[in-house]
Amino acid sequence: MHSSSSSRFILLGRRLLRGLGVAITGLGLATLALPGLASEPWQRLEAAQSLLGDSEPHTQGLTLDLPHVSEDGSAVALTVSFDGELDEGDYIERVDLFANANPSPEIATFHLSPLSAKPEISTRVRLNETQEVIAIATSHQGERFATAREVRITVSGCLVRAGGEAPDALSNPRVSIASGLAAGEPAEVRTLINHPMETGLREDDDGDTLPRHIIERFSVSIEGDTVFEAELHQSISANPYLRFFLTPEQSGEAEFIWQDDSGETARHVAEIDLS
Amino acid sequence: MTQHFKGTGISRRQMVKGLGAATLLPLVGGISPFAIGGQHAGKVVVVGGGFGGATAAKYLKRANPAIEVVLVEPAETFYTCPFSNLHLGGLRSMDSIAHGYDELQDRYGVRVIHATAEDIDAAAHTVKLSTGSELEYDRLVLSPGIDIRWNVLEGYDEDAAEKAPHAWKAGSQTEKLRAQLEAMEDGGTFVMVAPDNPFRCPPGPYERASLVANYLAQYKPKSKVLILDAKDNFSKQGLFMEGWERLYGDRIEWVGLSDDGRVTRVDADRLEVETEFGTVHQADVLNVIPPQKAGWIAERAGVTDDSGWVPVKPETFESQQAEDIYVIGDATVAAPMPKSGFCANAQAKVVAVAIAASLESRPAPAAHWTNTCYSLVGPEYGISVAGVYRVKDGVIAEVEGSGGVSPMDAPDTTRALEAEYAVGWYNAICQDTWGTQT
Repeated sequence: MHSSSSSRFILLGRRLLRGLGVAITGLGLATLALPGLASEPWQRLEAAQSLLGDSEPHTQGLTLDLPHVSEDGSAVALTVSFDGELDEGDYIERVDLFANANPSPEIATFHLSPLSAKPEISTRVRLNETQEVIAIATSHQGERFATAREVRITVSGCLVRAGGEAPDALSNPRVSIASGLAAGEPAEVRTLINHPMETGLREDDDGDTLPRHIIERFSVSIEGDTVFEAELHQSISANPYLRFFLTPEQSGEAEFIWQDDSGETARHVAEIDLS
Repeated sequence: MTQHFKGTGISRRQMVKGLGAATLLPLVGGISPFAIGGQHAGKVVVVGGGFGGATAAKYLKRANPAIEVVLVEPAETFYTCPFSNLHLGGLRSMDSIAHGYDELQDRYGVRVIHATAEDIDAAAHTVKLSTGSELEYDRLVLSPGIDIRWNVLEGYDEDAAEKAPHAWKAGSQTEKLRAQLEAMEDGGTFVMVAPDNPFRCPPGPYERASLVANYLAQYKPKSKVLILDAKDNFSKQGLFMEGWERLYGDRIEWVGLSDDGRVTRVDADRLEVETEFGTVHQADVLNVIPPQKAGWIAERAGVTDDSGWVPVKPETFESQQAEDIYVIGDATVAAPMPKSGFCANAQAKVVAVAIAASLESRPAPAAHWTNTCYSLVGPEYGISVAGVYRVKDGVIAEVEGSGGVSPMDAPDTTRALEAEYAVGWYNAICQDTWGTQT
């Protein structure tokens, strides 16, 4: 298995380095920094490092679910979820996703609230080559968690793409909320909207660069209170798909808003009816 | 594919040729001399008699006739998935896609056992058969094809497949779907549920939609085809869509993932499916091509990973997880090689040479593979994609500049020629694999 063998390698590397460190300090030598050998993927990516600062994230508790091999890098299904330990009353407040070999590594940042506190989010991402995808979660009290997973991208010989027409921006917003809602119980929510998510890096048939045109922000509020927000970047696939959980405490109106970088918005309203 | 043997003095190929001549006569009699000069050349069990397994058995014998080769395949007649869409469209009989194992036994001296492999003990190197007997092996080849992931798609289990056939393994499922299509009233809708990657035969669903539309255009002109897809892109998409427009107008409607094409619930009793965002579609004939995984026996052998497929060492297709087990065909993670019969056949030849080498403690020669997928958009309208693959930086990679797809906007004569090539390809690969003469 690709992932387990690479993580085993990292583990071995760390153990080896620790051993080396002991041996070296034992000899009274200065500690050596060996960049690259022992570092975790998030330590090798500047964008992730600047988010983490000096904090040393926990490596248990956060899980990234991605295929080992994807035959279509334009839309790779991704789920990030958290089942680690947190103090009483603490919750995951923010989740950041990165792709370390994409032209710009930021994929998305999700802001959660106690009303969206089951930390499990799915989306579809663009990966332009084989690389590591990184997730970092931050709790309300400032605990950090990190994980990474390698995805191999191939273009299957039988999967030559058509191109096709770009969808109309911000058309057909779709929302599906699981039935049988109960107060305080996490309910699955899926959203989908048509949008080209033009990266600003692509050329048209005449060789002209197509201007960047993406949805930058998505938010959900219940009775006016924001409960879930997402900042999206170019690495989110065309026609952004998001699946997450809401934990409503009372019935009310849920408003879903997508906003793109031209300032346009799309809106969808759904009734939350707790039984 | 070519096979290069490095060695001293007499080349391996010449030696094998010589041996073949010497051992051919006793083989024909069914008495296989499994030893040369008193030495045991090795015993290989091959599980699965499709494009991969049958080819592996034959080419193991061609690589070294002294190797004892046993092929385990439950069916006495094998129906190919390639061209089963032609049966569905009323263009071919099931007999014309049926193949047997006489040549493997009579000409190549393969022992064919019609039984199901029920368990594999990788440590003990044994295969347990449904007959109760047990086979020992030095090397094992698994070519188990695919199995359906039942119930991953809500409501789609084995009972549902009786009412809403998948027809993604050729045989009775193909005939069932054909019968339903024939019984459908004019004006009905043939709904196909297409899966996300990876799955067997990436262009297969779209060829099927084409040939169903071709049948409907002739016999049930008020009827339609609706494809509900869990993907936004599919194999040869531009070529298919161009052909659909050209031949069938708007008879075929395709709904992709981002237009709520992903089906999440199947009600086979009511021939009804529901998509992720709650649209319910009513079918008159419902063809559900469900999520798939490696054939079940691969799990028993302990060679699948958490994806349900089999990771292999790219140079030899030996399992990454169990020694002396080689896995080929649709069950493997071989991308960018697609899950096609052509690839299974190509992989089988590489495996045969690799095993013959390993039994003599020689390194396996460097491998390369080719693939061509022909698809029929209509009886006289063929399109294709081809590729050549090699190991690069430890993974299988398409050779840059190799292969390609049929041109867009090509004249009808080009499409007609490719339709002929498709038939030529089918006849050739079936002759290579099972010895079927046409």
